[in-house]
Amino acid sequence: MSELTQSSPLALGAQPDTGAALAPTQLELMRELGVKPRPGWTSRLSPGLAAFVTNGKGMAGVVILLILVLTSLCAPLLTDFDPKRRAGKPHVEPGYEHVLGTTRMGKDVFTQLVYGGRVSLAVGFGAGIAAAMIGLAIGISAGYFGGRVDDILSFFVNVVLVLPGLPLIIVIATMVEEASPLVIGLVLALTGWGWAARTIRTQTLSLRTREFVLSAELMGEKKWRIILVEIFPNMLSFVMGGFVLGTIAAILAEAALEFIGLGDPNAVTWGTMLFWAQNNLALQSGAWWEIWPPCIAIMLTGAALVLVNFAVDEITNPQLRASRRIGGIRRFLNRRGRSADVF
Amino acid sequence: MIFLLRRLAFYLAALLVAITLNFFIPRLMPGDPSARIIASFQGRLNESQVQAIRQSYGLTGSLWEQYLTYLGSVARLDFGISTVQFPEPTASLLFYGAGWTLVLVGIAIFFAFIIGSLMGIHAAWHRGSFFDSVFTPINVILNAFTPAIVALLLFYAFSLELKWFPLGRAHDPNLMPGWYPEFILSVLYHATLPVLSIFLVSFGGWHLGMRNVMINLLNEDFVVLARAKGLSDQRVRYRYVARNAILPQITALALSIGFLLGGALVTEQVFNYPGLGKFTFTAIQSRDYSFIQGQLLLLTMSVLVANLVSDIANVILDPRLRR
Amino acid sequence: MSSSPVSRPLMEVRGLTVDYVGETSVARAVNGIDFDIREGEAFGLAGESGCGKSTVAFALARLTRLPGLVSGGSVRFGGEEVLSFGKARLKAYRWREVSFVFQSAMNALNPVIPVSEQIMDVIETHEPRLGEKGARARAVEMFELVGIPPARLDDYPHQFSGGMRQRICIAIALALKPRLIIMDEPTTALDVVVQRDIIEQIVELKAQLGFSVLFITHDLGLMIEFCDRIGVMYSGELVEVAPASSILTNPQHPYTKALGNSFPPLTGPRQRLEGIAGSPPDLRMLPKGCRFAPRCPHAMQVCADTAPELRFYPAQQSEAACHLLN
Repeated sequence: MSELTQSSPLALGAQPDTGAALAPTQLELMRELGVKPRPGWTSRLSPGLAAFVTNGKGMAGVVILLILVLTSLCAPLLTDFDPKRRAGKPHVEPGYEHVLGTTRMGKDVFTQLVYGGRVSLAVGFGAGIAAAMIGLAIGISAGYFGGRVDDILSFFVNVVLVLPGLPLIIVIATMVEEASPLVIGLVLALTGWGWAARTIRTQTLSLRTREFVLSAELMGEKKWRIILVEIFPNMLSFVMGGFVLGTIAAILAEAALEFIGLGDPNAVTWGTMLFWAQNNLALQSGAWWEIWPPCIAIMLTGAALVLVNFAVDEITNPQLRASRRIGGIRRFLNRRGRSADVF
Repeated sequence: MIFLLRRLAFYLAALLVAITLNFFIPRLMPGDPSARIIASFQGRLNESQVQAIRQSYGLTGSLWEQYLTYLGSVARLDFGISTVQFPEPTASLLFYGAGWTLVLVGIAIFFAFIIGSLMGIHAAWHRGSFFDSVFTPINVILNAFTPAIVALLLFYAFSLELKWFPLGRAHDPNLMPGWYPEFILSVLYHATLPVLSIFLVSFGGWHLGMRNVMINLLNEDFVVLARAKGLSDQRVRYRYVARNAILPQITALALSIGFLLGGALVTEQVFNYPGLGKFTFTAIQSRDYSFIQGQLLLLTMSVLVANLVSDIANVILDPRLRR
Repeated sequence: MSSSPVSRPLMEVRGLTVDYVGETSVARAVNGIDFDIREGEAFGLAGESGCGKSTVAFALARLTRLPGLVSGGSVRFGGEEVLSFGKARLKAYRWREVSFVFQSAMNALNPVIPVSEQIMDVIETHEPRLGEKGARARAVEMFELVGIPPARLDDYPHQFSGGMRQRICIAIALALKPRLIIMDEPTTALDVVVQRDIIEQIVELKAQLGFSVLFITHDLGLMIEFCDRIGVMYSGELVEVAPASSILTNPQHPYTKALGNSFPPLTGPRQRLEGIAGSPPDLRMLPKGCRFAPRCPHAMQVCADTAPELRFYPAQQSEAACHLLN
């Protein structure tokens, strides 16, 4: 038994402090705070994907989007009418034969909604993906190559960011006469890549000086290979974020453009449905069923994309994730009569 | 100072890009802006009159000459002749409409930015609380709605059904414009719903932006140090956190003005509000190209000016930029 | 046995446990450590990155950030239990009795307000009777103490060099003449020459004002020169606590020995440098026995089964946690 002298804590006769709370074991703590490991099947996925799949908000958004996409794809199965032709009397109220009623021209609203969804969603997602891709290409190039290339590309990125989008699109769309949804989608993609480019450039710049990139360069790897294999995988979440935001912007802008009459009035999309409803003074004549369905469809799509964006945000930003645990931590402290340290 | 000068140079370059786009787009499209007007005279014009009309549209001479003439006219704020309200100069229409749009957008941005930011500060400070878990998602989802739809819904609910608000226009047509209380009240009354539409779709963005910026800041060493120093909550919240959070938000505000102006265009259409948007709508329907091009330039200039103002604000607020 | 009066240590830490709450797991960064800091002493806490020493520093100052959580233990300062302080008592504790110096001075200073305000606001908050003039006078005094011309009091942080910024942080830490200053790697971000300056400054101030220091760093060599006693941490636990003079000349724990061997001596014959094979354990699922056992060249069966306790060995005047010593 070693001798105890004055200078050690044990020597001072320190008893195990009765006031000191004994810490729970890690497992007990997890149970108390409600921290659960992910379900087993997620271990086969990459960590980012696993995080996304277990995120309630994100998955809710994905489910809503899937429902919308599926109903649009299965349009012929859900309705027998032709969206562009008269299906019944004008302004028939929703009922058995016409689930959502008919427009002033006698076309079935539900049919228009599901067929229109095909175009609106396709244009929205298409423009979103295209904008994200352009933004990715330009952002990575600007960030990776730096110097002159960066200066020139950044200038264009800033110009695209600063120029007001809708007025520019209006100019282009007017000149093209009746712009088909495809043209609108193209124009939206060409004007909407600014934000993605900027965030990706910033991220590339910070990754560029990281060791794994420098070592790949020293080893003589070809530049494009470095970009593809080393830098790109770290960007995935930012690309996702850019895609989601781009899609939201595209869908809203498309609806707005068609609403003010710039689209092809003969096309059937959610935006043109609104255009015709407004033109036919649907609200004033009490035909609410001509306006509400496309409104709700657009709102749902926007809301779903926002939820997905929330999830992507939480995954990329650890600080936002940490906030979810605050409630549990506060309760833990309260139970022991202690106050929180910082935030 | 150098910072501001570089920004100014950039804005002038961006303006040049917008002008150039404006110049080239109509020339790349099939058809000819002046053709319509000429056609409307149904062949009763002689050659020199046709040339005169074409000249007023800047369509004579070589491409380079046309470009220079165009630059010159833009510099003089001469946006051409309106085809809808021929021969009214486009500029006067633009500025009249812009004035009313400014009233709308100005009031809406003011409230959206302030209320959204305050809510964001509160949500960040009390993150994870009921307020944050409920209001943050709601506000953000609101933000995802297109202004067109919100405008339509408000119009339907409050103007048509409940009849609490007027059906359109900027002010009571029986009142003569002027700076007296009755008129101003009428303007505000008519502006309420349009302002509300723009407000509802934008304040959520400020809420989320401010909240996220602040949550990142709350983890910074200097904020933890401020807490460690035992400073009051008030002081930490405003002098340390918000004071830093406002910087990126001001930049974001400037960048979003372009988008807000776009949203206002549609809102005015729904509420029959005589702003730039409403005129643009009629211009689109009647293919008044000079007006449409003019609105692009006017809006671009406004956005650039707003950006310059935000840069100046940044220089004032951020000592690191003052080297 | 002589019975000289025993003075109560300034700070007593018992069984301190800190966890990091993740999405799907909980990582135990600090696992029930015990140590004391005495009046006027410079206590160093050493260890490799990720061993938990910074976490300890924050926990003692009640600055644990999300997602960290102090899940158990006791920290007694002058006899009072710091972990149970309510808001009001915490405010008095903060800065007046214990202050903190961060690793990165650039990040520790608010970039948009002048330095004078950052040192005066804490003075005005805790000693309001001084008023603005008194606070400013104290600020000038502090600046002179750390060697910065008071004329620069109203400049902004970005206008100072790295070394000066750290001095400003030290000045702020001293503003209320605390009894203990916790320094979390204050010189790691600076170059060697400036490092030397800062350390000498701290030594001088400590001699002058008599405060205690808890000095966190991974640089063992720096510590030995500056500290009275040194505690070595590994994977969230204290493995050895010894006087600075003997920790490298007579290390008790295998990990301390290995640490010593990884430092190249400036003089003497060329030796082969040895690293420490293996890597630290996963903090989410800790082994039952000694944490260092998987990497220890002298590991025995008992090491894998039971964790060794920190024990005092009077012959070496130090504490160590190792089964080899029994």
